[in-house]
Amino acid sequence: MTNNEISSVLKSVTKPGRYIGGEYNAIKKDKAAVTCRFAFCFPDTYEIGMSNLGVRILYETLNRNPDVWCERVYAPWTDMQEKMEEYSIPLAAVESGDPLSEFGIVAFSLQYELCYTAALNMMKLAGYPLFASERDEDAPVFIAGGPCVYNPEPVADFFDLINIGEGEEVLSEIAELYVKMKKDGSYTKTAFLREASHIEGVYIPSLYDVSYNEDGTIAAFAPKYPDVPAKIKKRIVADLDKAPYPEKLVMPYIETVHDRIVLEVYRGCIRGCRFCQAGMVYRPIREKSPDTLCKLAKCLYENTGYDEISLISLSISDYSRLPELTDKLLSWTDDEHVSLSLPSLRVDSFSDELMKRVSSVRTGGLTFAPEAGTQRLRDVINKNVTEDDLMRSVGIAFRGGKSGVKLYFMNGLPTETLEDIEGIADLAQKVVYEYYKLPKPERPRGVSVTISVACFVPKPFTPFQWEAQDSYESLVEKQRHLAECITDKKIRYTYHDAKVSRVEAILARGDRRVGKAIARAVELGANLEAWDEFFDYDRWMQSFADAGLDPDFYTTRGFGEDEILPWDMIDIGVTKAFLLRERKNAYAEKTTPSCAEQCSGCGANKLGGKNRWCK
Amino acid sequence: MVQVENSGSYTIRFRFKKMGSLQYVSHLDLVRTMHKIVVRSRLPLKYTEGFNPKPKMVFAAPLSIGTESLCEFLDLRLSERVDESVALEALNRNMTEEMQAVEAYYTDTKFTDLRWLSYTVSMKTAGASDELCERINAALSSDVIEIEKKTKSGIKPVNIRPLIKSADAFFDGEQIRIVCLLSADPSEFLNPEYMVKYLRESVGVLSDPCLINEYYSILREEAYTADMQKFR
Repeated sequence: MTNNEISSVLKSVTKPGRYIGGEYNAIKKDKAAVTCRFAFCFPDTYEIGMSNLGVRILYETLNRNPDVWCERVYAPWTDMQEKMEEYSIPLAAVESGDPLSEFGIVAFSLQYELCYTAALNMMKLAGYPLFASERDEDAPVFIAGGPCVYNPEPVADFFDLINIGEGEEVLSEIAELYVKMKKDGSYTKTAFLREASHIEGVYIPSLYDVSYNEDGTIAAFAPKYPDVPAKIKKRIVADLDKAPYPEKLVMPYIETVHDRIVLEVYRGCIRGCRFCQAGMVYRPIREKSPDTLCKLAKCLYENTGYDEISLISLSISDYSRLPELTDKLLSWTDDEHVSLSLPSLRVDSFSDELMKRVSSVRTGGLTFAPEAGTQRLRDVINKNVTEDDLMRSVGIAFRGGKSGVKLYFMNGLPTETLEDIEGIADLAQKVVYEYYKLPKPERPRGVSVTISVACFVPKPFTPFQWEAQDSYESLVEKQRHLAECITDKKIRYTYHDAKVSRVEAILARGDRRVGKAIARAVELGANLEAWDEFFDYDRWMQSFADAGLDPDFYTTRGFGEDEILPWDMIDIGVTKAFLLRERKNAYAEKTTPSCAEQCSGCGANKLGGKNRWCK
Repeated sequence: MVQVENSGSYTIRFRFKKMGSLQYVSHLDLVRTMHKIVVRSRLPLKYTEGFNPKPKMVFAAPLSIGTESLCEFLDLRLSERVDESVALEALNRNMTEEMQAVEAYYTDTKFTDLRWLSYTVSMKTAGASDELCERINAALSSDVIEIEKKTKSGIKPVNIRPLIKSADAFFDGEQIRIVCLLSADPSEFLNPEYMVKYLRESVGVLSDPCLINEYYSILREEAYTADMQKFR
């Protein structure tokens, strides 16, 4: 296509700025001078992809290797995809405009299960068969990584290589191996993948065999060769303080979802809430020092010009040096007109002091996550917060001038009854009363309490990984019941589509056979399903049927404790024995203390690293 | 930069170009981008008051998506007087090739003095010829040129003839070039896209709705005051 033809296409689509590249700090190299052309594919639109700071940091660090040129690829919007199909424009990287066929490695970052179809759609647009076994020697090596691949099996048949765990170091190692083998002439895709299987954190699906029992459960899962690891140990960055500083961050021209610096403060979580996968898979807890964080924040600020810094972690208020960090940051952020935000806060560690610091922030409201409506159920899920904690926290928030409070809950939790659902409404109402307890002149204007209720999905590597998901009918019934219990107009109630959660569950808990259904869904047009308007439940049900799969097998069937689970070959540090113990504790309504209080022997400590709380 | 209580207030004006792929960045996105560029430049900025302080800056006439420009203006408020070439370099260092400031200077003329903007509209269209140019010129010089203009209160028919100070179409052998001077008065701003739309409908240029074998481009070139002096 000529420049003018491309221009005409760009003028006819929405947000053409998504496709132009040419951003400040976009990296352009001489393609003839690099050995490894690496395409980093984000299976969503440019605005979503560019909001992910982790990916922009990986882009910059990968490119520090002179033998590697890492470029970016994003999913086109539907109107652009139509033009691409009409004019045979292949999917291309933003920096060079070259199609994926010119790349040696194509890596997908899988952030959310419903992005799987978008990722495969990109593969299709690039002109490649979805199944790895159908791609030939000349095709690039297709890699997947990201938070979803702790259970890699549903997408195992589509990728040549999957990296389990933290990507910062392992992606560079994979690129270096590729460069080495290309330079010494030993590279073939097969030889490369076999070598790569020896790198810690690398899973090569084609080097394993899986067989099934009559009843559909897994009979055996084993490597084909003795040098291929039977268990794949996830990769962690041992010392987060030693990670390289990103100096030149590529800056989007168009507005992205998160127009700010997102500062990851520490990895892992001390709480051990039993539904939470992230809390388990990111153990052991590794903190960055306040000095490192402050230097990093300043470096990012000076190189980007963003005016907001968001401190994130799974539980920011559990960062052991939070006051020191906020003090260090506030010493320069106020003067530079940079605001500081802490998006998620635990109710039992919210304090006047924290509130004062957060007050320097422009946010309108505060968010807390009690997750369950009764103390009984909160004990079952090990969310160790009490009603008193919640009331105290919202009291502090209201007194500090915040009139909007958002509360996150789940329904469909194990052992849940309608009484627990009613407890959600009770809690919300009590929060409203807490507002009215304040003398009139002290009340901020117009209280609003929003409760947002998600549907529980039993996730791999949690104590609840064996649980059956609550049925669709039951979830809907509970959503309806809760709506009836809420009468106060000051309480807003929103809930997630249970159909979406059902499909999420299949994609999160599935085995390799689920891949056939995903491929079928893409064939039937599934794409960009993380966007509400494109999610099609009936198409999914059709796809499962066509693939000969029963959705209930992965959702409403509880998994047996002796069953081989699809993700058993992954070692995340935390042991199965620990998860089983925690499951029993859940049913006994017994809570488990946080790592800060007492070690519960989860097993993550054996991964080593500069961890904070492990004994 | 530490903001000193009694710091001064200086307005430095940048003239810059916005070319190539940057024509697809909307004006709003340009404003957001420029906030970050000036922060990166480390110039001594002045900030707006209130809940959501931003660097104090004003742009002259906004640019539509699809129009390139050699003639954009940005007024930036500074708390200290900075040497013009230092400011120019500081800004340019933080932008890419396609958007670079060509001049930086202190002035007290206002953007409201900017009354006319010159554009060259280039068209690769079927039937491009001297004869087609004559028809275009005739159409653009008739007394009434009515278009449907989007206003705050809905779509209204508007006569844009008075907003075209001059327009001259000629054929350069390959493309039709229309050099025109259009109103930049904020209350009567004429976006050249309206002129193109009018020509498509009344003269029949660029008849392919998909614009694949035909295409057009617009370049904003120069700014003028009411008495036709170059605006600076």
